Amino acid sequence: MKKRGKGIGSIFYGTGYGNGFPDVSRSVAVLRKDGKVKIYTGATEVGQGSKTVLSQIAAETLGISIEDVIFICEDTSITPDAGTAAASRQTYNTGNAIKKSCEELKRKIIDVTVKASGADAWEEINLRDVALNHKGQILKGEGEFIAETTEMKDETGQGNPYWPYTFNVYGVEVEVDTTNGVVEVIKAVCAQDVGRAINPKLIEGQMDGGFAMGLSYALFEDLNIKNGEIKHNKLTNYLIPTAMDVPDLEKIIVEDPEATGPYGAKGIGEPVMIGVAPAILNAIYDAIGVRITELPATPNKILLALKKKREVAL
Amino acid sequence: MKEIKLKVNHKDYHVAIEEDMRLLDLLRNRLNLTGTKEGCGEGECGACTVIMDGITVNSCMVMAFQAENREIFTIEGLEKGGRLDPIQQAFLDEGAVQCGFCTPGMVLSAKALLDKNPKPTREEIREGISGNLCRCTGYNKIVDAIEKASEYRKEE
Repeated sequence: MKKRGKGIGSIFYGTGYGNGFPDVSRSVAVLRKDGKVKIYTGATEVGQGSKTVLSQIAAETLGISIEDVIFICEDTSITPDAGTAAASRQTYNTGNAIKKSCEELKRKIIDVTVKASGADAWEEINLRDVALNHKGQILKGEGEFIAETTEMKDETGQGNPYWPYTFNVYGVEVEVDTTNGVVEVIKAVCAQDVGRAINPKLIEGQMDGGFAMGLSYALFEDLNIKNGEIKHNKLTNYLIPTAMDVPDLEKIIVEDPEATGPYGAKGIGEPVMIGVAPAILNAIYDAIGVRITELPATPNKILLALKKKREVAL
Repeated sequence: MKEIKLKVNHKDYHVAIEEDMRLLDLLRNRLNLTGTKEGCGEGECGACTVIMDGITVNSCMVMAFQAENREIFTIEGLEKGGRLDPIQQAFLDEGAVQCGFCTPGMVLSAKALLDKNPKPTREEIREGISGNLCRCTGYNKIVDAIEKASEYRKEE
């Protein structure tokens, strides 16, 4: 018999390395000869969209178009360190560093134009002219952002391990086939607090991706470690979802600007996957009345839990 | 060694291959068409998908000699005169690319699907790309992109 159930899962997530671990991002902004601006930062693009979002932050701060931002990242021989693309920290941490470097570049450009012609209104300054008139001079701004974090005290559990925090909630509907134990997620919705959405389309992409990974974690992925050896060591037996296993996700972006974030933005890379598994497990409970306490919730585990429930009832 | 003739992206090739060479290696190492990716190398992930005589195949599971006198399309064969194929454009417009590793295979599976079924439903699209695994996107934006590509192709 196929039984349906609904469940929700809600989480909060601390951005950055946390617990007092040094968390620093740096950026350098340089005015090019043709009036375009080069941004140097170590931030790594792994497909999450940091190149786009960080270029947008630079363009916004300098009031120039994104085509005039030349974004140079990843090459450690020419870029300043901006930490890892991890802990959902690049938009917030490196975004802040880039904003600072662009603000400093802006101040330096205004300084030279005031000296040269008295012009101090940013809107009236033509960056190409500035670059032409100050050929011998390198105009650059440096930015460093150090995340707020203190070590938590073991005895009291007090401290300020992370800043900022991000919140989300998932709601899912599942269908459980009680004859073979297969769980299918048929409907899902995610509401994600983002601080401020610098690029809504990229945020949606992160939500879709996090949802699929969370679903996969809840229902499919099993390393099957026996005596320290990974038995499911290929895609033939280590299952991840196909396009047919992932339903459409309704995506709700919640904007509540974070005072310390670049233009109010926060990172969402990891938060978007955390709430999925609890929501699915709650939906399974709602559908068939059994609690699955070990992931993944494979058909075998569902059938065993149902059998146990029937035995207890007898 | 064996000599074979085949057509890749409208171009005729006459190449010498080893008997145990895979089509994937012929494309990447001999013809320098590195847009085709090797993922799992065992026919599970679809990253190496190419179109052979109108049908998608995993080029890691096809021997090079099996491509004799066949017509192959790889991701490099899609653009026309410097213009992206409507499917490629739709992938860009919908944000259907994240790390990009599955993208060439996804785009070719989408092409094979749309060539046969110009206006597929979302379910049909999901089925059409079910042989291509993606770790980043959660597939939804890819499904959106293929829906959009279907519209773009109608306009052309």
